[in-house]
Formats: sequence, C-alpha cells, structure tokens
Amino acid sequence: MGSAETELTFFDCNAFIGRPVTGILRPAPTAGDLLAEMDRNGIDRALVWHIAQHDYAPTVGNRMLAEQIAPHDRLVGCWTLLPMCLPEFPKPVDLVAQMKDARIRGLRVFPESHRYLLRREVFGSMFDVMVERRIPLILSMARGTSWQAAYDLLAEVRDLVCIVSDHGCWGADRWFRPLLDHYEHVYIDLSDYLLDGGIEALSADYGTSRLLYGSGFPAQYPGGMMMAIRHAEIDPADRQAIAAGNLDRLLGEVRL
Amino acid sequence: MIGTSPLAEAFWRDGRCASCPVYDMHGHMGVWHSIYFPRPDAADMVRTMDSAGVKMLLFAHHASLFSADVGHGPAIEAVRQFPDRLRAYLPVNGAYPDQIKTDLKLMDECPDVFVGIKFLCSYHLVPMTDERYRPAWELADERRLLVLAHTWQDSQYDGPEQVRRIAEQYPNLALLMGHSCHGAWDQAVRLAREFPNVYLELTAVLDDRGVIEKFVSEAGADRMLFGTDLPWFDPHHGIGALLSADITDEDRHLILHRNAERLLAPLL
Repeated sequence: MGSAETELTFFDCNAFIGRPVTGILRPAPTAGDLLAEMDRNGIDRALVWHIAQHDYAPTVGNRMLAEQIAPHDRLVGCWTLLPMCLPEFPKPVDLVAQMKDARIRGLRVFPESHRYLLRREVFGSMFDVMVERRIPLILSMARGTSWQAAYDLLAEVRDLVCIVSDHGCWGADRWFRPLLDHYEHVYIDLSDYLLDGGIEALSADYGTSRLLYGSGFPAQYPGGMMMAIRHAEIDPADRQAIAAGNLDRLLGEVRL
Repeated sequence: MIGTSPLAEAFWRDGRCASCPVYDMHGHMGVWHSIYFPRPDAADMVRTMDSAGVKMLLFAHHASLFSADVGHGPAIEAVRQFPDRLRAYLPVNGAYPDQIKTDLKLMDECPDVFVGIKFLCSYHLVPMTDERYRPAWELADERRLLVLAHTWQDSQYDGPEQVRRIAEQYPNLALLMGHSCHGAWDQAVRLAREFPNVYLELTAVLDDRGVIEKFVSEAGADRMLFGTDLPWFDPHHGIGALLSADITDEDRHLILHRNAERLLAPLL
C-alpha cells in the first residue's frame, strides 16, 4: 500500500477549547492543550471555538478565543453571532473587520440558548454579508438550534454556506439529507456521524465534496472519525477531501 | 495516524490486526423505525466485520426486540447463515410474560444460535427487577449465561440501582452493562469493582472522551468489553476511539478480545 493511501492530513471543523459549565471529563482549557492532543492524534489544523461563547457570554468568549489562537497558525477561529438589533454586538461591517484581524473564518449561532429567532428581522443584513463573503455558519443541533430553525433559515437564505454540526450519534440522515437535496451550500460535519456505511452511502448519493471531518473534541475522541474516514470504502482522494481538503477549500473562499 | 503504538499502526494501515481480533459484544440487526441503516442485514454486517477485523458479533435482532409478532426467526436464520461469525442474545420483554416462558425454550432448541439473554427494559418499560423477568434471570444464572442489559444513568427501569439488585441476586451469570449505565460513570465503576460478574460494555461510551481512561484506571481493562450497536455505529469508529484514548496496547487487547474470549469459551 502506498504512502498516499495511508498518510492523510486532517483539518478538524469541530473542536472547542475552554471548560464547559456542565463539566466534561477531559476538557482542553487552552489552545495549547488542544494543539497537544492534535499532535498526539496526528491532526494538522482545526477550526476552533471557545465554549464560553455559548456557556458564558458570546462577546467575551469571542475575545477569549481570539487571544488563545493568536499565536498558533494551525488554528482558525469561529466566533458566535448575536442579533444585530442591540448595541451589545458589532454591526456587520465592523464584525467582518474584526474577524479579519483575529483570524476568524466562521460563525456560530445558538438561537435557543441565547434566546432569539434565526431570522432576517433579527440579523438585518448580516446573512446577506455572509452569503456575499462566503462566511460559513455552523449550526450545532445539540446546542441550541432546532431542525425547524435550520430549515426555516435555509429556506430564507438559500445561498448561505452552512455546516450542520452535532446532529447526534443516531444516524440523522432523515434530518439532514433534505437540506443537502435542496441547498447546494450545505455541508455536513461528520463528528457525530457514526453510522456504519454512512460515509459510503452519503458519498454515493451526494459526492464527497460536502462532507467534513470533525472531531467533536474535547467531548469526543478525535481518532474515532479519523479511523472511519481512513477506512471508508471510497476513493483515497475522496478520503483526503473529507479529512481536510473540503474545509480548506471552504475557508479559502471566505472573503474578509 | 492516531498515535504510534503497534496496534495503532496496524489498524491504521490495514483496518484490522491479526494479533488483535475484535469481539463485538453488543450488536443489533435489521431495519428499525428511527434510523436509516445503509447496512442492516447479516451479509452487510459481516462484510463490515471483515473490514474491521471483527471475528465475532453477538447481537439482538431489532425484530426480536421490538416486535413480538415477528419474533426470533430472523436472528436464528442469520446465525445459521454465518455460524462462525454470529451469535445471538435472546431478547425478553416483560410486557409479555407468557411469551418469555415460550421463548426461553429456544435456549435449548437452538443452542447453536443463542449464547445469552438481552434485556431492553427502558424501551419495554418494565424494570429489570420486575417479577415477570424472574424465569429469564433464573435460567441465565443457573446456566452461567451472558446477559446483555441496556443500562442508563437515571433510568427507573435499568439504572445503576436496578443493576445492583440483580447483581446481588444472581452472582453466577455474566452481566454486561450495555452502555455502562451511560452517564453514571462513577456508579458503573463501583458496580464493576463490587461484583466480579458485572462488566462495563462500551457501546455509545466510546464517543464520550475520557470515560475509557477512567474505566481502565478505576475498574481495570479486564472488566471492559467492546461493543458498537452494529449496524448503528461503524466499528472502525469505536476502534479509533480506543486508539485515541490514553491507555496501553495491553489494555486494548483486553478490551477488544481477551476478555470476550474468556467469557465466550464455555459457551461456544
């Protein structure tokens, strides 16, 4: 077996740092802790967020993330968005400038946890800015986003680049496949997609360009999905695309 | 690659490892109402097992678990189609006590198929300590069978307290705590330490980082068994999680095959 087939590089689309308010067994309080575990598992880069963006306060958590990742080129950040109708959060043009300065290439929303609706009335022009600049929105189905909200948002902003994440370890095909069918800029984070034969089935039906390696770290073991991708019965080039290439391309298209 | 251990190198390179055959002690089979399975049938599952070096799977068929009207025929057929690779648990449902008495006869009628009994009390809504299950527990204890019981942290049907009462009452059977009382990790460890016939089964545990290390250090790798809920979860994912965990290859050998080989030796 050639090295091209065994040596994959990984770019993780779903990792966080910080200590969750409800506690987990092995948190990664700092970017250094995350990088150490990435090195131990053979992960090259990560799109990372700080749990304080959800558990404490998005504005503070965003700042903490920026400070943590600043010295580490292997980490790209993902901030949390809040409604634009209050003075607590920057307007789109200011936010984009701050993202550029802080190496932030994605945004997350937690509408149920943070008590707002995921609608244009709430976010003004922000979704249009995200479409224009191809800034991905990560929807965590386990942390404060309902499937109904995801469906409604994409019906309203169909060209939004959207990563569906944390969709649960029970095979969620019935939830997310209609989104893949109807919206070409929807991507699936595989960190929860443990389904036997699932990667092969999704690849056969949709191709591999919309599937992304995610670890779920530090709540999950990074090696689980790495092994599943490594031995998925698909073309080796497609494995590499899922492991890193697709996220690399997606974030490379972001214009700040 | 995940780490640098010999097992990590072999599984990463080949997907399986000849010196580390895998025994999956918690599987299912067939279609089910809440999940689309790309590979639900016996032949599909054995193909998956081949790719991950899974030597044997012990399973409870979804039909046996969820439809008394379909029953155990599909499980019997599957084991007899792949007698070197599959064995079945006989599911019992306390909602139908007369059916339990009838079904337990299959343990004698099909000794080539069934190696134990499966309890899914949280789904059948009958506590594992309920009197209606007594014939099944007594048979398993008398014959020193494997019992795979779904267990979950705060369930009134199969939580840690129910497990404790069963373990005290039936010391001869091997009680595999399916999902290791998921979420009640400390209580699961205490049960495994206190009762030598109680085991920590890892289905749906392997995606909770840190639990493997906790179980190994506090209960011992010799009390842990690998499981995947196949066809729910890809065994490569579970193996990858074990390779990612901060434990030794010796621990992995115990979890993936040596403990299971010891338990299954008198039953196969």
